[in-house]
Amino acid sequence: MNKLKLWLEQTMMISFAIYVGIIIEGVVYSLFPGGDLASFSLSWLQLLSVILTGVVCALLTVLFLSYNDISKKDFIVRIVFHTIGLYAIVSIFGWIFKWYTQLAGFIMMTVIFFMVYAFVWGVSLWFHKRDDNKINKALESIRDEE
Amino acid sequence: MQVHIEKVDSKDQEQAVIKAVEITDEISGAIELLEGDAKGFAVSKEGKTYILKASSVYYIESVDKKTFVYTKQGCYDTRYRLYELEVMLGGYFMRCSKSMIINLKKVRNVKSQISGRVDATLINDEVVVISRGYVKEVKRRLGIG
Repeated sequence: MNKLKLWLEQTMMISFAIYVGIIIEGVVYSLFPGGDLASFSLSWLQLLSVILTGVVCALLTVLFLSYNDISKKDFIVRIVFHTIGLYAIVSIFGWIFKWYTQLAGFIMMTVIFFMVYAFVWGVSLWFHKRDDNKINKALESIRDEE
Repeated sequence: MQVHIEKVDSKDQEQAVIKAVEITDEISGAIELLEGDAKGFAVSKEGKTYILKASSVYYIESVDKKTFVYTKQGCYDTRYRLYELEVMLGGYFMRCSKSMIINLKKVRNVKSQISGRVDATLINDEVVVISRGYVKEVKRRLGIG
């Protein structure tokens, strides 16, 4: 049940982050000479593909980074495989759903991928930090000092 | 002191509110009793048997099917299994991993690691690991989840 919840949470977080990435891409596109924000559009299939990518990426996250007591070395190995795996999924889905058609588009997608990756990690760490603060505050009131 | 008892539907809703001018010995005793700290259980060390008060326990660990109880005074072993102690002690004693029960009253602070595990520093500066899967239960026991 916990893993299912983690899967859903990660799906929402990753999909949201990709949409943010697309918005940033649209804004950047409009800033280029001759760029027109109004002409920047996505098909419904591309919108759906973002959620589908989120589902598959989240599944990989649950498989590689579900919360077990693992050593630091093991964790680093998992992170490397996780990053490569996600990058491969995003690249393949991007190719299938035509997120990019040229090298420039692929580079842009790569930049967005790493921005999204950093964003998702940042949000996860922020959630953990917030939990720590709440717990530490509650512990203060019950602590049995000797 | 007046005592009011209100019936509730589930164990989760059970709570005791004490309104007092000051915390007297009697009130401290009542708090210990309600929180389960007054409970004692048999432990042994170097062939001698002792009755240990729950309030003196930092954490309890199971290693190779043996159960060890850690206190400020040292380590004891007990014939009880972890699941038995978990039920027996209740309150702020809770499972923090498959092989450990922690006394939340002895935790100074917690810190999440990037790998997902949570390090809990006890009041004697010892660090034990709380598995991420148990964090929700920690929050529930502390009334913040």
